[in-house]
Amino acid sequence: MLEALTFVLAANGKAFFENPAYLLGIPLIAAGAIGVLLAMSPIELKWPQRAPAEEEYEIVDHPADGHPDAAEYIKVGLILAVITALEVAIYYVDALEGALLAILLVLSAMKFVLVALWFMHLRFDNKLLTVMFSAGMVLVTALFVIVLSTLGASLV
Amino acid sequence: MQHAPTVDAAHETNTGIDNRKLLMWLFLASECLFFGGMIGTYLLYRNSSVEGPYPTDRVIDGVAYSGLFDIPFTSVSAFVLLMSSVTMVLALAAIRRNDRRGLQIWLAATALLGMTFLAGQVFEFTEFYNEGLTLNSNLFGTSFFVLTGFHGAHVSVGVLILLSLWVMARRGRITSENAMNVELAGLYWHFVDIVWIVIFTLVYLLQ
Repeated sequence: MLEALTFVLAANGKAFFENPAYLLGIPLIAAGAIGVLLAMSPIELKWPQRAPAEEEYEIVDHPADGHPDAAEYIKVGLILAVITALEVAIYYVDALEGALLAILLVLSAMKFVLVALWFMHLRFDNKLLTVMFSAGMVLVTALFVIVLSTLGASLV
Repeated sequence: MQHAPTVDAAHETNTGIDNRKLLMWLFLASECLFFGGMIGTYLLYRNSSVEGPYPTDRVIDGVAYSGLFDIPFTSVSAFVLLMSSVTMVLALAAIRRNDRRGLQIWLAATALLGMTFLAGQVFEFTEFYNEGLTLNSNLFGTSFFVLTGFHGAHVSVGVLILLSLWVMARRGRITSENAMNVELAGLYWHFVDIVWIVIFTLVYLLQ
């Protein structure tokens, strides 16, 4: 058994560490290892009590939390899908090659803003969260401008 | 016993925002810089590889090199991840209405779409590897694999979170009262999606 494992590792070990696709599995391996350690440890996980069975809860049609409903989310999802299709279509239009950078950046920014405002609820939540996230975006934009301009790289 | 269908009430805090949510947003703000650094590095070294393979078709010293990027395939991957954001937000909308069955369905759909995206990335990485692109073959290989690999690792973590939530939902442990668990996972998942929106445009489409 051990010999077979050694043989498999010797044959595939190099490829395993060279092919970055395998690296994607590292979080799964880490989570599995934590699970095994938890299962073997003397720690007792105390789960909360089971909630009532399905027939004992009520579905509320319009919860008063100020957030959009499912229909509005689907509308935003459709807009996002259309923008993505537009991006790919524009990529193949030779006539637009000169304006490609500007168009793609605008479309990508639109998708970014739609997801952040609607799906991540920045539009409906406390403005402090928007300030915090914007601070991260401002810093990263500054990083881009400084690094790319200082080191002589450009997007075009 | 009947649970009153209430929405998730924030704990009383100085900011009026649930501390877990505040922390998640701080984490996401820091993640902007994490990914920003790697996207910046990719852009910096974009056309600096002195030997192939290259991301796009090009002719160097009379020798034609065919590019590795497969835009139609990556477009489908980007679309899959975008749609997983829609299913994620529908999961949150479901549990806010106390619809636990809906929560389970949308969480499972989100996890499946996430796994589909990951499968696509594994396929793409393996194809590139077979074409001779590795982490240390050239500047393109290093900057591309580090950037998209770290994004893929984030998606893997997201899928694990979603599957954990799905198991909790199956066992009836998520109600409209603790919908914050789903909201926090959603914030992380949407962030992973918007990072891919940027990567897809700046790395794949802008050449």
